[in-house]
Amino acid sequence: MNVALEVERTRATRRTVRQALGRAIRLREVQLLVAIGVVVAVSTAAQPAFVQPGNISFMLADASATAILSIGQTVVVLARGIDLSVAPILGIAAVLVAFPAQDLNLPIIAGLGIVLAVGLVLGAANGLLVSVARIPPIIATLATLSVYGGLQFIFAKGEEISNIPNAYGNLGNNDIVSGIPWVLLITAVLAIVVAFLLRSTNVGRSIYAVGNDAAAAHRSGIPVQRIVFLTYVVSGVLAGIGGLIYLCHVGSVDSTTGSDSNVNLLSIAATLIGGTALTGGRGGVLGSVLGAVFLSVALTAMVFARIPSIWEPAGVGVLMLLAMLSDRRAGAPARRTRQRTAGSAR
Amino acid sequence: MSSAAVDPEAERHASTVAPASARYAASHVSKAFNGAPVLRDVSILLEPGQVHALVGENGAGKSTLFKIMSGMYQPDAGELVLGGEQLADLTPRMALHEGIYLVPQEPTLMQHLSAAENLYVGALPRRRVPGFVDWARVRGEAATFFGRVGLDIDVQTPARLLSIAQQQLLECARALVHNCRVILFDEPTSPLTSHETEILFRLMDALRADGLALGFISHRLDEIIEVGDRVTVLRDGAMVTTAERGGCSRNDIVTAMIGRPIGVRTRVRRSSDVVDRSEVLKVERLSAAPVFEDVSFTLTKHEVAGLAGLVGSGRTEIAETIFGLRRADAGEVWLEGAPLLHRSPRECIDAGLIYLPEDRARNGIFAEVDVARNVTAGIIPHLPRTWHLIRAKREESLAQEVIGRTSVRTRSLGASINTLSGGNQQRAMFSRWILAEPKVAIFDEPTRGVDVGAKDDIYDIISDLATSGLACLIISSDLEELALICDRVLVIYEGRIVGEVGQGEVTTARLGELVVGGAE
Repeated sequence: MNVALEVERTRATRRTVRQALGRAIRLREVQLLVAIGVVVAVSTAAQPAFVQPGNISFMLADASATAILSIGQTVVVLARGIDLSVAPILGIAAVLVAFPAQDLNLPIIAGLGIVLAVGLVLGAANGLLVSVARIPPIIATLATLSVYGGLQFIFAKGEEISNIPNAYGNLGNNDIVSGIPWVLLITAVLAIVVAFLLRSTNVGRSIYAVGNDAAAAHRSGIPVQRIVFLTYVVSGVLAGIGGLIYLCHVGSVDSTTGSDSNVNLLSIAATLIGGTALTGGRGGVLGSVLGAVFLSVALTAMVFARIPSIWEPAGVGVLMLLAMLSDRRAGAPARRTRQRTAGSAR
Repeated sequence: MSSAAVDPEAERHASTVAPASARYAASHVSKAFNGAPVLRDVSILLEPGQVHALVGENGAGKSTLFKIMSGMYQPDAGELVLGGEQLADLTPRMALHEGIYLVPQEPTLMQHLSAAENLYVGALPRRRVPGFVDWARVRGEAATFFGRVGLDIDVQTPARLLSIAQQQLLECARALVHNCRVILFDEPTSPLTSHETEILFRLMDALRADGLALGFISHRLDEIIEVGDRVTVLRDGAMVTTAERGGCSRNDIVTAMIGRPIGVRTRVRRSSDVVDRSEVLKVERLSAAPVFEDVSFTLTKHEVAGLAGLVGSGRTEIAETIFGLRRADAGEVWLEGAPLLHRSPRECIDAGLIYLPEDRARNGIFAEVDVARNVTAGIIPHLPRTWHLIRAKREESLAQEVIGRTSVRTRSLGASINTLSGGNQQRAMFSRWILAEPKVAIFDEPTRGVDVGAKDDIYDIISDLATSGLACLIISSDLEELALICDRVLVIYEGRIVGEVGQGEVTTARLGELVVGGAE
């Protein structure tokens, strides 16, 4: 009797464990961790230098810049929008900090104030165009991509500003411990804060609701316009912070910074690879951060495999497509699945 | 928790938060869309502790009135008064705040969010820190509310995995969460089975006893008579009559609704002297585990066959598999002797098999597209052309002709289809498939969300199609409907055909017994 009970209990535990494993494997975050592990393992087997602290630090710092932008991008995409103007927002923020930093030895904390203001203003402009003027996001932000890109050129006066105080470079390039750069910590903090806000606040849940069905959200009393506006402000602010991080990491900025390294594409790629649906309402920022890390690791692996860097954009595109193909729900036409339950059968 | 039992804890919850009662009046409300009047000087009064039932044909303006009363639309004229207080420029947000909730005709849940979150969306309970969601309370209380509406599901299930009926019950549960004084039900029963409808009515009774003012739209007259304390009939956007319970008979209501007396619906008879009974569709041992298994049947020319079964019995999945929307594990499907299985919908349509889906809003209409283009969408490759270019004028005259045959009521061919009422959208869907000149048609819930008058039209359309040679398979939860129009009904239970009721034996009682798994 007791033995039978014990066996049954063990079976039940095993079943629960198996179910939990099954659920975990379907999580995009887990899939990405596995993918990152595989790429690292293969590359290390081929070239042990891949896991040297210097290279790890380089990859993580590189991923951090993309990750910060993709956090904002994810917030926008979750509400069924898209922000194509993050690259010049990053650029303008970096330029507007770089000049006073070079000429007046501006402290970083003041620089942070500048980039927050820049991101707030430019993001709010995007938000107004989409939520109040009701211009489709892809058009509105494609237009501001061009407008902000032009402004960046004017603000930078066509120069390259590279005489940045050491404090900036130290923040951007030093490690906390060997292999873990400071910028990764900043990114991680931002990601955790945004993830928490998305999960646990009314505004965060409203973003998901708007992305699922804006009409139904309106019917439920959610201020849809305000929420949409807010997502672009968040994206703008994070792009601004990304600009400061970029400046610290690279140490110079010019009139095409951001746009030349294709930050827009990278932020969207990391978001999609991270499992956020372009159709809104599904996904999250932790996936996007892992997506950015995966991109960085995979692209570095390409370098280690002696693939010429002109292939890098193609690599990003292929990874995006692979991510879409591996997500069953993203490509297939939306279909209603019915479950047979006792409740529905009668 | 059993789905039928009313949770005592939920009862207690309801009594502790019993809302203040208030009468809700809409007076002299008018509304026009693009110049076409939809409501003309309509006044109704919802009393606390009463169910006010609203009837009328499709397009009579019932849904529009409820949408105005819940802040979705702004009226052109007239005013809304709740408990003596005038509600100016009502928005959905204000309406919820005032305690007015609309249970919509088609459930509109957030597909990727959990059932529990859908229950609270827009008003998630907060923790002491403002703005932060109290997830423990969401999960804990959701089950209680689900219990009250008879919904037996895991609160964490994403909404997209729920059946339409479950989604509709969840919508009802939302009204309870918002602790509403006024609940407007816009045809809540059309996607529900009779058992679920019963649960809903019990719920409405409880709410009525709590002193809530309820509005209720239905196309089922029996329901109107059963639950309505007061009945108002709308026709063409104007009020025709309003009466207390017992103040008017079923026939009075029907006459008021359609402006002419209507005969008791009798079994649709087609001439039986048809000689050509050749087999057109043959389904053999079709399986797609675990949804359905070993399904075999045939359809002959001129035949109307029914497929009866509960929601979730696999009936829709069988149709979708035949139509190439799903993959089968095993089995064969033949259309006029040619194999059909593993073909795409396009190839099925070209071969002469059409499928009118159950979920019109999701799988049927192209909402933003005009009526003409919606009607011709099934035959795009065969539209009149000059060289490769479609002749728009001739396409439109084609559409005009066929919507004349199915009497679609629309302002113009260029109007987008979502401006049409549910019944007219369904007629437009029939038009689409008539144009494809099919040999076999599968109609899934062809009269769901359609009023009495339009129902009869649809039965006539189906019967005409059968007379002209079409083989029809009708899937329906409405057993009375199957008994009315079908020559023969196959009954499916848990994915298997458990019985076939032949000509002359089709009765509601016999079908009812089989669909719940009653033995032969």
